[in-house]
Amino acid sequence: MRAERLVGGLLTGAPWSVDGPPRRRLALLLGIIGAGGAAYGLVMGTHGGVTPDRWPQMTFSALKVPLLLLATFALGLPSFFVLHSLLGLRDDFGRAVRALLATQSGLTLVLAALAPLTAWFYAGGPGYRLALLWNAAAFGVASLSAQLLLRRHYRQLIARHPQHRLLLRGWLVLYGFTGVQMGWVLRPFIGSPDRATTFFRTDAWGNAYQEVWRTLLGVLGAG
Amino acid sequence: MTNSFKQLDAILRGDATRVSNLQRGEIPVSARGLVGVVILLGVLYGLCMGSFAVVRATLGDGGANAPHASDAGGQLVAAAVKLPLLFLLTLGVTLPSLYVFNALVGSRLRPRAVIRLLVSMLAVMLAVIASLGPIVAFFGLSTTSYPFMKLLNVAVCAAGGFLALAFLLRTMHRIVLVQDTEDPPAAPPPAPAPAPATTGADADATPTVSTLAAVRHPGERRARSVFTLWLLVFALVGAQMAWVLRPFIGDPQRPFEWLRSRESNFFLDVFQALGQLLGG
Repeated sequence: MRAERLVGGLLTGAPWSVDGPPRRRLALLLGIIGAGGAAYGLVMGTHGGVTPDRWPQMTFSALKVPLLLLATFALGLPSFFVLHSLLGLRDDFGRAVRALLATQSGLTLVLAALAPLTAWFYAGGPGYRLALLWNAAAFGVASLSAQLLLRRHYRQLIARHPQHRLLLRGWLVLYGFTGVQMGWVLRPFIGSPDRATTFFRTDAWGNAYQEVWRTLLGVLGAG
Repeated sequence: MTNSFKQLDAILRGDATRVSNLQRGEIPVSARGLVGVVILLGVLYGLCMGSFAVVRATLGDGGANAPHASDAGGQLVAAAVKLPLLFLLTLGVTLPSLYVFNALVGSRLRPRAVIRLLVSMLAVMLAVIASLGPIVAFFGLSTTSYPFMKLLNVAVCAAGGFLALAFLLRTMHRIVLVQDTEDPPAAPPPAPAPAPATTGADADATPTVSTLAAVRHPGERRARSVFTLWLLVFALVGAQMAWVLRPFIGDPQRPFEWLRSRESNFFLDVFQALGQLLGG
């Protein structure tokens, strides 16, 4: 019953879901991000069947989804702190961090809710590319929901100081910029069937933006 | 050192440059301690910058792109040493002219206050830049593209520069306010209008803003223009200083050198990097 109330509070952006004793709140939010992300990652890695040779990929994916969110978050945190200080909003920093974490835990809750759908989709035996698209769509849906949640969790802060809106925009730019590359580095999430299962594809590290740009140039050049 | 970081904190929050402090004609920070902070933050960011060279050398991209693997350590040390040097040298080169012109326009900011203000600005700049260091280090560790790293670093430094500019202009604005309160107007002040919304740090300044906005004090206003112009000079000198002190990141195609020969210039190279990156 308590868990249900908490999930409801996080998803509707109720202020009490973010307030409260900061440390316990932080631990709880981080726990939700870890568990929710791992749940979706686990299902994400089952593409091609739940056979023993897929277990490594399932484990890796379960680790990588929370890692993607939390590592990106951690990288952006120092500059977020300095910007809060510079704009004179240091006192709200803790609350802003909890609002961001609450948003991310909301995102993982949405993802976890989509996990059965993904399992159902995988059961139809889609190819690797189709699975890739499906997961991209799932993450897209989760990100859109997160945008909505972010607005809810930030409402109070913005009402207190309109400059929080500016900070939030700056944060989204930084988070998105880092997150895209983080997702690229943490590949493979699904695991191409014709390649060995590895945690990283170190041989194919590089730059996500450059890859996108090259693909775009290739498409435009061909068309 | 802890004390110096507390001072940095007070500067970032805007506490050190409160109107009440400026009224007493002081910025309660120690320039020497802040220079220490600037050096430390510079070294930190320099290490983040140099991480690209180390990873390119050790992972090697199949070896073909990293013919100078043994130089990576040198590049890391060089970046950590040169980055603080870059900012301090730029300040050193531009400080005398600022002081002279500041005095010329009749500002009453004393040399000590000017130095404290500028070192504070430098501290703000490096705090911003160093706080973006983890992101730069992450890209340095994971990306293989040298032009991308160059542009990312330029963008980070530009972001630091703009926020430092905002800090300096805000402080100059407060100094103008202080000057206005010290020289009461001959005419009765206009009826207090609702004060514009300002940041929390500005809260103690708002009454003077509304009552004395009509007052002109030429010295400090001109000083503000001088500071604005000076920032432009600072940025140009800084860019060229960075060019003289390069390499910071380390081109994986070229051997490590402490300083490269004088060729091309900063702005041309940024355009070329943009061209290389977009050329695919």
